[in-house]
Amino acid sequence: MIELRNVSKSFETPAGHFTALANINLKVKPGEFLAVVGKSGSGKSTLLNMLVGIDHPSAGEVSVAGTSVHMLSQDQLAAWRGQSIGVVFQFFQLLPTLTVAENIMLPMDFCNIYRPRERKPRALELLAQLGIAEQADKLPADLSGGQQQRAAIARALANDPPILVADEPTGNLDSKTSHEVMQFFADLAKAGKTVVMVTHERDLSRYFSRTIKLADGAVVSEDKVSEDEVSEDEVSNTTLAKPLLEVA
Amino acid sequence: MSPRWRKLLGDVRAARGRLMMMVLALAAGIFGVGTILSAYGILTREISKNYLGTNPATAQFELNKIDNALLQKVREHPDIFAAETGDTVLARVQIRDDEWLPLLLFVIPDFNTMQINTFQSEAGAFPPPDGSLLLEHEALSLIKAKVGDLLTVQTPNGTKQSVSITGTVHDPGLAPAWQEQTVYAYTTPSTLAQLGEDGDLDHLKIILKDSTAIETTISNFAGWLKQQGYEVGEIRIPPLGKHPHQTQMTAILVMLLMFAFMALVLSAVLTATTMSALLAQQVRQIGVMKTIGARTSQITNVYLLLVVLMGVAAIVIGLPLSIFVGRNLSNLIAQLLNFTLYSSSIPSWVFVVQISAGLLLPVLAALVPILAATRITVQQAISDFGVNRAGLDAGAITILLGKLRGLDRTLVLALRNTFRRKGRLLMTLTLLAVAGALFITSLNVKSAWEQSLATASAARHYDAEIRLSYPQSEEKVTAIIEAVPGVVRVESWNRTPAAVNRPDGLNIVRTYPDGGHGSFSLRSAPPDSKLVDITLLAGRWLTASDSNAVVLNHTAKAFFPNVQVGDDVVLTLAQTPVTFKVVGIIKELLTPASAYVLPKTYDNVLRQSGEADAVRIVLKENDNASIATITRKIEKALGQANIRVSINISENLLDNAVSGHVYILIFTLIAMSVLMAVVGALGLVSAMGTSVLERTREFGIMRTIGGRSRTILRNVISEGVFIGLLSFFIAVVLSLPLSTLVGNLIGNLAFRSPLSLVVSPLALVLWLGLILLGSVAASAYPAWTASRLTIRETLAYA
Repeated sequence: MIELRNVSKSFETPAGHFTALANINLKVKPGEFLAVVGKSGSGKSTLLNMLVGIDHPSAGEVSVAGTSVHMLSQDQLAAWRGQSIGVVFQFFQLLPTLTVAENIMLPMDFCNIYRPRERKPRALELLAQLGIAEQADKLPADLSGGQQQRAAIARALANDPPILVADEPTGNLDSKTSHEVMQFFADLAKAGKTVVMVTHERDLSRYFSRTIKLADGAVVSEDKVSEDEVSEDEVSNTTLAKPLLEVA
Repeated sequence: MSPRWRKLLGDVRAARGRLMMMVLALAAGIFGVGTILSAYGILTREISKNYLGTNPATAQFELNKIDNALLQKVREHPDIFAAETGDTVLARVQIRDDEWLPLLLFVIPDFNTMQINTFQSEAGAFPPPDGSLLLEHEALSLIKAKVGDLLTVQTPNGTKQSVSITGTVHDPGLAPAWQEQTVYAYTTPSTLAQLGEDGDLDHLKIILKDSTAIETTISNFAGWLKQQGYEVGEIRIPPLGKHPHQTQMTAILVMLLMFAFMALVLSAVLTATTMSALLAQQVRQIGVMKTIGARTSQITNVYLLLVVLMGVAAIVIGLPLSIFVGRNLSNLIAQLLNFTLYSSSIPSWVFVVQISAGLLLPVLAALVPILAATRITVQQAISDFGVNRAGLDAGAITILLGKLRGLDRTLVLALRNTFRRKGRLLMTLTLLAVAGALFITSLNVKSAWEQSLATASAARHYDAEIRLSYPQSEEKVTAIIEAVPGVVRVESWNRTPAAVNRPDGLNIVRTYPDGGHGSFSLRSAPPDSKLVDITLLAGRWLTASDSNAVVLNHTAKAFFPNVQVGDDVVLTLAQTPVTFKVVGIIKELLTPASAYVLPKTYDNVLRQSGEADAVRIVLKENDNASIATITRKIEKALGQANIRVSINISENLLDNAVSGHVYILIFTLIAMSVLMAVVGALGLVSAMGTSVLERTREFGIMRTIGGRSRTILRNVISEGVFIGLLSFFIAVVLSLPLSTLVGNLIGNLAFRSPLSLVVSPLALVLWLGLILLGSVAASAYPAWTASRLTIRETLAYA
């Protein structure tokens, strides 16, 4: 489903040459629920950006669901993302002037997969699955953080993409809501969706089928996340300096 | 409705204040363009329709006599479509006890069958009964008379007689009486005879069948007339199919149109700036939309549609208003130029231009910021933290402001903030500066105009010019006038019609039936005269030793475009070609084309001696009342000696005649500058609103560290005032070339000479006051809103 082959990414900064990712090789199978952890600056965000085509590798190849992502133009990427990947942000990023239902209909509108008359019922159905159907006609500002994140997940699922990418989706939620959201992601993975998530919450590791840890742009360990590592992440992630993580 | 369009509506709601400014600015631009275009469309059509409706003569011949046999032959001539006889007599009419105005009498042999230079009856009798006159309707208000009143009239050969006004007519072929300070009247040959003239008609008016190569055909026809045994005098050929004021009207409308388009372009640029600010706040939303599948074109279309919708809204507001005002402006100008609007319908091309410009210009202007924003990559979009380093570099201005001592920090902050968004600042400054420059230009041109009149008046050191009906002994005339108490000096400045000599010997002038607009005279000028100040453009003034020397004024020089000082010119005087050597060219405002020669040269070429037909008089007292009293005494004294006065030209008469042509233009210019000022003010309001919105978080920080509401208020208002002041200085600089340009246009139209550049202090003070007031007003509301926000609200602002 997702394959990164010898992917490297480096930047020229005022401070000199900086390697964000160094020769990453990664395969994610359909139905996997993969967690990506690591300290601030370890390359988690860059890796996620590569997966969703927000950034291109300096070297190597990124293949997602058979598409060579690094070969696509910006417009092709947008269309591909709309159909193939659902993105969930830490700060929800719902458009403030649209109602919750309209926010969910927006990707359908852009990608034209569902016919216009099917869009509203589908949006309401997704909202019902996430337990916020009654919020459909409200503006995002009228919803709690948990409700907004559920709406954001519903939007990510709008075009029924095979892959979901989530960036600290529980970072702004209380513990109870966090577990509900994680359970929802886990259920989606069980249903066959591939889920890749950046997180630092130590008590969520049980939901993942696999965890990789990044350090200095390289995968340093794989499988279960130890408590120490999670603790490190938790500290490091409070210094927000990564694009996708820090949208506000 | 699909979510993306709902988003558009949501954005409109969220930014309704700024978008409303944008719509109003665009509407003002569309209104300006539409108004002038509507007026242009209506007036150019109607002025032609009116003028052509009079069946204007292709040419008018002055013959020694015209009999029925000739008229019949002319009508049968293969080149002639129509022919009629007629006459014009320059008489005078008494308007108050001692005041007279020129009276141009058009003598019509048969009012019911006339076909050439026709006019329409408006009120009263038609044709006029014997012993009465019909007046051109504009002349009634000039002399404050009404149908039925008796007028005291004197023709060149007649005595003062009372004639009644029995009706009015409308003659769209003539300029309005008030503009020319001439009363136009229509009468029959028998009435003319009763007034003391011979009643013979010696003007032959013709319309050619073919209006190509008019001069050649006229020349051939004049040759034919001579073969028939007639003497051909002056031939008047007015510009074909053009109302006397058509060229001026079109030139002025085109100039106003340029200003209106400038307003529209500026409002379109304001649209671009507003969109740019709006998009700067939506960068993350654009990033999110792209993340969830939106292509660049889809997002671009959403924002372009927003601009199109704003354009449509502006058209909905501006277009109907422009129709209304354009029609009223057309009515006003039509009245001023003495023609009737048969139809106020606006040509459809006006709407096409208006709608196209209203939609395309803002879209084109907004395309740049829209494409810049929507082409942004997702990574750039989500990396945007809302603080742009652009413009915040430690540039010269920033460093300079930091070094200023004694300035409040918040004031420094306001001044620095002014330069933070250089693109927006440039746009706002352009809007305000152009508006200011136009405003100052309008008043500068008005001052230059008044100064020109004053200079022209000051250059004439005499108080009246009296023209006699026939030449008289110079010695006798001078003695009579000098004997009148209050007269200080009398000089003869004789005058005879002249024409540019042609190889065929014909005397062709490019004048209208009223004889004005293009007349040319030869005048005798005493070489040592102190009655006029000479403004030399080239060469020298006349000296006593000259023989065949001539000095042309700049209007006369226009008849000889290639002639320089030292060249010969040939003039036709009393049917005879005479060669003169040009020794000088002078600038002479408010004076028709004139060629000046010494009195002895004048006498030689006209084969006369010691005669005078025009004298300039210096009086001891030169207020209007004294001039009127003494000229009445002069006329009485001349009358007792059986010497008839044809016309008495005072300074007042000249000023009124010329000013009438121009004040409407200056008024319209000021109106246009007000329109620009409105666009400018909207630009400033929009810019200040956007600036405050962008700095909301900054205000929160200021308040957190102790800044009070009034600090924020002062900060924002200072920025607005600073921008206003900057724009003022740019406007002053811009107004200089603009005043020169407009002064050139108006001066050349009115005087055939550009107006001097005059900077009106009143204009500067007025605009400075307006701009300061406007700046405070434009920034006060956003400042007040910002100062009322709580810290929580400001810091939560993303």
